[in-house]
Order: sequence, then C-alpha cells, then structure tokens
Amino acid sequence: MALGLAAMTAVSSIDYHALKRLAGPAYLLSLVLSGAVLLFGDAYNGSRRWLSIGPLSFQPAEYAKPAVILLLASVAGGKTRSPDAGAHDGRIFGNTRSRSLTVSVFLAVLPIVALVGKNNLSTAVIILGIAMIMIFVSNPKYLPFLWMILAGVGFLAVFLSLESYRLERLAVWRHPELYEKGYQTLQGLYAIGSGGLFGLGLGNGIQKLGFVPEAQNDMIFSVICEELGLFGAAILILLFLLLLWRFMVIATHAPDLFGSLIAAGIMGHIAIQVILNIAVVTNTIPNTGITLPFVSYGGTSMLFLLSEMGLALSVSRGSTIRP
Amino acid sequence: MQKTRSFHRRKILLIFVCCMAALLFLIGRLSFLMIAKSEYYTTLAENLHERERSIKAERGQILDRNGTVLADNRTVCTVSVIHSQITDPEQVIEVLCAELGMDEETVRTRVEKNSSIERIRSNVDKETGDAIRSYGLDGVKVDEDYKRYYPYESMASKVLGFTGADNQGIIGLEVRYDEVLSGTPGTILTLTDARGIELEDTAETRVEPVAGNDLVISMDANIQQYVEQAAYTVLEEKQADSVSIIVMNPQNGEIYAMTNVPEFDLNDPYTLTEFYIETQLSDETDEDAETALSVNALDAVSSMTNEELQDALNKMWRNGCINDTYEPGSTFKIITAAAGLEEGVVTLSDTFYCPGYKLVDDRRIRCHKTAGHGSETFLEAAQNSCNPVFIEVGLRLGVDNYFKYFDQFGLNDKTGIDLPGEAATIMHKKENVGQVELATISFGQSFQITPIQLITTAASIVNGGIRITPHFAVSVLDADGALLEVCQYEEGERILSEETSETMRYLLEQVVDGGSGKNAYIEGYRIGGKTATSETLPRGQGKYISSFVGFAPADDPQVICLCVINNPQGTYYGGTIAAPVVKDIFENILPYLGIEKTLAETETAE
Repeated sequence: MALGLAAMTAVSSIDYHALKRLAGPAYLLSLVLSGAVLLFGDAYNGSRRWLSIGPLSFQPAEYAKPAVILLLASVAGGKTRSPDAGAHDGRIFGNTRSRSLTVSVFLAVLPIVALVGKNNLSTAVIILGIAMIMIFVSNPKYLPFLWMILAGVGFLAVFLSLESYRLERLAVWRHPELYEKGYQTLQGLYAIGSGGLFGLGLGNGIQKLGFVPEAQNDMIFSVICEELGLFGAAILILLFLLLLWRFMVIATHAPDLFGSLIAAGIMGHIAIQVILNIAVVTNTIPNTGITLPFVSYGGTSMLFLLSEMGLALSVSRGSTIRP
Repeated sequence: MQKTRSFHRRKILLIFVCCMAALLFLIGRLSFLMIAKSEYYTTLAENLHERERSIKAERGQILDRNGTVLADNRTVCTVSVIHSQITDPEQVIEVLCAELGMDEETVRTRVEKNSSIERIRSNVDKETGDAIRSYGLDGVKVDEDYKRYYPYESMASKVLGFTGADNQGIIGLEVRYDEVLSGTPGTILTLTDARGIELEDTAETRVEPVAGNDLVISMDANIQQYVEQAAYTVLEEKQADSVSIIVMNPQNGEIYAMTNVPEFDLNDPYTLTEFYIETQLSDETDEDAETALSVNALDAVSSMTNEELQDALNKMWRNGCINDTYEPGSTFKIITAAAGLEEGVVTLSDTFYCPGYKLVDDRRIRCHKTAGHGSETFLEAAQNSCNPVFIEVGLRLGVDNYFKYFDQFGLNDKTGIDLPGEAATIMHKKENVGQVELATISFGQSFQITPIQLITTAASIVNGGIRITPHFAVSVLDADGALLEVCQYEEGERILSEETSETMRYLLEQVVDGGSGKNAYIEGYRIGGKTATSETLPRGQGKYISSFVGFAPADDPQVICLCVINNPQGTYYGGTIAAPVVKDIFENILPYLGIEKTLAETETAE
C-alpha cells in the first residue's frame, strides 16, 4: 500500500512522455515475467500466478495490464507523425493507417494474452478488453467493432458449448443453489440479500466469517453489501463512476493522443474489472475470478493500480500545464 | 506528436457512457437483490448463522399430601476456564484451588491447557459458584444448571423415580407425570460463524423456558418413612429377599405409602446398592464363586458387562408392588368368601368339617393343618384360614360363577394405578379350569396377581363394595403454587353389595380378633385382616411369601395396609411375621391419621 502510494506519487511526477520510450521494453519485460511465472511460479490456491523475488512475491499478470496500456498507447498514439492540422482526409486516413495499426496492435498484444491466459483466463480477458477499448478509441470507425463484438459473442457460444464443464458453469449461474459449485455465489447472495437498505453496520457482517469463500478477494463486494447495505454499495459504485468520469475528462483533455489513450486504457481497465466483479458477485454473469480494484486484497494489484493512477495524474498534469 | 481528435473524444465518451450504463444496471440489480429479495436471502442467511441452544426449564416439584417437597431442583454450577481469555493465570489457579478445594496441580494443568474451553469441575454448589463469580476473573466461566434433587434420598425411590441428563423422567412418577413436571425448555438463538463458534456482541434471541408444574401426591412422607423403617426391620430380621408394603385409603384409592425395600438412592440412581450387587451375583454364580466374589463387591461391579449392569440396575429400580406378580395365597380367600357370600352359596354360620385335606376329583388337597380343623363354621374356617372349606365354597360357586366374580371384582383388569409398568394378572383360561384348578384358585394358588391388585380388590370389598382406582397424583399446582388441576379418577363400579361388604368387614375383623391374624390386633382398635403364606414356584425349594392385608377401623375402613415378605428365613407364616409388621404400622399411623380408639367396643369383643 505504502509502496503503491509512493509509486503513484513517483509516476505522477514524471512526464508520461518519458515512458513512451520505455513502453516497448516494459512490454517485453512483461512477456518475460509472464513466461517466467509459467516456469518458476509459485502455486497458490491451485494457480501458478506468483513469482518470488527474494522475500517479495508478485503477480506478473497485474504488471502486464499497465504494460499493455503503455504499449498500445505508444503504438497507436505515437508511431505516425501527424503533421497535418485537421484538414486531412479522415476517411483515407482511417482506411489505410488504422487498419494496419489495428492488426499490428493485435499482433503485439496476442503473445501476452496467450502467456497470461495460460493459467489466468480472466486476466487475459481483461487485457484483451483493454486492448479492444484502446483500439476502438484510436480507430475512427464503429462498424468493424460491432462485427467484432458479434463475432466475439459467437465465438464465446461455440467455446462454451464445446466443453460440458463450461456449460455447467452456466447452469450453476442460473441456479446456484442446486450445485455444489454454486456455493460461493450463493453465499455471496446471502450476504448481499441480508444487507438490506443500510446494512448490518461496518464490521458486523457474518458471511465473511468463513461462509463466503474469498471474502477478502473476489467476493469483497458482497461483504460490503452486507455491512453497508444498498446505500453503501451504491455509493461505492458511484465513486467508481466518478473515478471513471475523471479518467474520461483526463482522456479527452490530454495534450496528445498518447496521453489520451493512456487515460482511456486505464479507464477501460478499471471499468472492466469493476463491472465484471460486481456482475459476478450479484450473479448477473457466471462466476469468474476478478478482483474489485482498490478494494480487494492483493499487493501486486494495488501497486499497479496505484501506478496507473499516477500515470493518469501525470497525463492530467500535462493537460493542465498546457494552456 | 499526434493530437487527440474529436472522434477519439467521442469514442472515449461512448465508452464512459457504456460503463455508466453497466454500473447503473448493476445498481439496479443490487436494488433488486437487496430490497425485493432481501427477505428471502436474509432468512436463508439467518438459518445458516443461527444456532439454537436450549435452556432447561425448571422441573416441577413433587410434593406429598402435606406439602413436603419430595423431589426438588438444585441449582448447580459448572466452572470452566477459557484459556484465551485468562489474563492472570496465577490468580485464577489460586482462587479455584481455594474455592473448589482442589489440589493445585490438577487445577494448574487444566488452567494452562491450551484448549478453547476446559471444565474444571461440574456439580458445584451455587454458593461456591457465586463466590467464584464474584472475583470477576477473566476467562473463568460459571454456568448454572438445574439438577434434580431428592431431599429424602432413597425414600419411595421406586415410586418417585428419577430423571435423566435431559431432565426427562426415567422411572416412577417422574416418567408417568413427565408432561406435567417437565415444563417447556426455552431457547437461545445465537449467531455463529462458519465453524459454529458463537459470535460475541451479537443480539441473541431468547425464548424463556416455562417452568414445569408441581405435582401433589397422596403420599405422606411421615407414613412412608415409618413404613420403610418397618419394612427394613423385618427385611433384616427375616433375612428376606425383599419386603413390599402398601398403605392406602380404601375409600378413595389414595396411596399413603408404598415401599419395596431395599430402596435405592435417588440422587445416585446408577450406583448399585450392595444388596443388589449380591443379588445379581447369586443369580448367576454358584456358591463357591459367590463367596469369592462377594469379598469385593465393587470389583464385581466393575467386572460386570454393560448388559449385566443394566439388568442389575433394572432389578434395583423395579417396583415390586406393581411390576411383579405373585401367588396371593390365603389373602385371596377374601375374594372367595366375598363371592360365596354374595352369591349366597355360603353363610357365616354354615358348618363344615375339615379332616386335614379335601378330595377334589382324584386329587387330595391338603390343609395347612394336616391334622384337620374338624368341625367349624364358615366364620371359624376363615379365622383358621382353612383350605378345604374355601375349596368347598369355590366348588359350590362353580367355574362360571367364580370367573364371573373374578371379572366383576376387577381382577382381570389392571388397577389403573398412575405408575408405569403395571403387570397384568396371570390367570387360567376359563376353558382350561377344571375342579382341581378351581379348588387351588379358591385359596389363592395357581395364578398370579400384583400386590397392588390384591390390596385394591380387598379395599373395594371392605369399603362398601365400590371398586377404587389406586393412585398417587392428587393435584397439579403451577410454579407459583396456585391450583391448576385436581386429578380426577373414574367413579368406580359397584362390585359387591353393601351387605356382603359389611359381612366381609365383620368376617375379617374376626380373623384378627382371635383368628390367624391375631398378631395384628391392637387393643382399642377395630382391625380386620387376612394372613397368607404361599410357597413360591417351583415348589419344594422352601421359599415362601408371607403376607398380611389389614384395615382399620374394621367398621369403617379408613386405611388398608398390605405387607408382603419375599422369601423370609426361619418362620415364614404370614400370621407370625407379616401381621406384626402391619400392627406396628397401624399402631403408629392410626393416631397420626386421627383415627381414634373405640375402647368400649373392643372390650365387649373380648
């Protein structure tokens, strides 16, 4: 936490343009680390996601997120020199450059998605999501993305129906009380349901006392609901919304596309995690392990989230410095 | 450096709007879960968290007819320590040693044992518990509990019965009136975590227990004590196996006393008394082994299998007055006489001749006086307890009539006494009864009834002819002592005419007044009664049951008493050993019951 705050302050004080040059190496590093974790990682809870460096253990997948944001921002926002001042023909621009860009970005992101996805599917999905959002922002077109979304849904359907255990996950989602694997979901629902309007009061939750598995991690939101009620939970969601709004403001006011894309990427990252986490906890979508940014327990995640905040602040400062 | 273009901003805004929509949708979903389905999930969650702990209800007392408490509750404490909460172990050890009188080493090991909760001692007096609590030591827990307590210890043990660990009646009145006494246990609902450990500082829902009601019984502790004392005296004098005595009001069936000595300690019902250890051993071992084993009776107990121990306990708890049947012998002549007189086949002045035996079919049934009683009236025959005469009366009645009266007197049914496990009469089937069987039945042999059946039938014959229901329960009081219910017993049927009943009272008074029951005679009182001596089955072992049933005053019976001595050594005649016991009891309880001597009449009788 302290380390995270320090990182945030440090990152926010440097000019984010300096990071542009580091984007490539940083991404390569994330590839190396993700590769290393597959080979030398420590298993915890049955997943090999941790890399020990001396006394510190660390999740490379968390590091991969900001690395991808940086890489994509630098690739999409900085590669081409753009001397023209507005009068340029947008259509031609979009057709020629952006398509190759989209392809190259995808090619750049795929290795890390593959590496991370090897044993942490949900993080891989988040990285892919971040990439999607950043490409979407950097590309002037809309239609191709609609096709991509439809294609994605179709792919998902095929993906799920291929293996029966994936369908089982769906069945558990529909009726968590009928399945043993629905235990976590059901316990989360108990916690949420017993919260009522104003909750049991901070610290008075009972479900966290061993009933809800991973109460301090993925299921933290259910405990918040139980203790603070609908009122507290809604305020938390609105706080996240406020945060996202600030990212949007930073992104739209960034002095250049690079900064704008960085802020948009961070916004996408946090938005995806918040939405997916709460959706999972409320059993709106099938269960998958995604943490709630800033709230869930996890040192690595916190460190890099705060670093991302620093990055956004740096972008924000860049925009205010300029007239 | 590339500039941000307007489409970039639009797209960022679009993404933000999408996110906002998604988050708002989730707030909506949350609202649905937390408002609309809140109750559903709250209930489910509470079911998951709540642990129900029951609070024992205080069991009602059992009071005798004068309000003396026979079965009570004592608050006992259990002292335990919670290791993690102890702040000053040395002081805890010191206080517990001093207050509980335990040695330091034992206490220290328990206090220092790293367990969630360690019991130091249970069944601690309330005063001691309060004293320990007053120190306010961290980590020392004093829990209160009720324990059934019988102030008179072994008195009327087989009648009162005792309770088990869950406060439920096991035998006797405790089980018969369990519903009245037990009350309704309360509950404490507490919240627990997933491991079932109670959470502190959570509001607990408490349903208070409802104390049981008090039961007033017809027993009189003073009479009971005296009767037991008398029973123990004759038990020891005659080295008998057991002595059963019942004292009852023949008018309404209220039982004043009922004992089967040896009794057992109700406060310690699972410990075999020495007497029953020996009984158990002699039942299953030959003589040599018996002497060897009885050297150390306690060793013998520990060597018993569980089954043997349970058998021995059941034997010890058995209420012979109602659970066991016996051949009543000559006391049953009361029934034969009543039936004969009622049917008109005999009168008091009819004369008979007893040669010392009676020939029935091809059987020669002997009188206890082998020389014969010679010529005698029916009244004299009753005084002499002459078998041939009663055989003759039985034969005059015939099988049909005899069975009619047997049934009419209620001998085929149970008495309906309010104690569990009453044994039924063991009687011949009517179609199997020939002259010989009828002859033996007439003087009380070849069939079995319970002592309570005999005294109840005898009481009904002498009380004016109304069948009574023997009972203990008189009324039910609530916890504050207010009357809740007066126990009702069925109005008995008439089983005998007033006249015959009066004749029977006269006949039985004559038995005591100069007949075989003369040892029950008390100067100044009019007492009626009948003796009996019967050999137990199998015959020829020299084991007898001596008994006497007596009532007073003979003209208006207020109290009736049956004494059954099982397997006395030495003299075994009922008139010699059982009648004096009843006399002794009457001498003491008649004045106690306010029954005055009627001197003038006894003088004329003599």
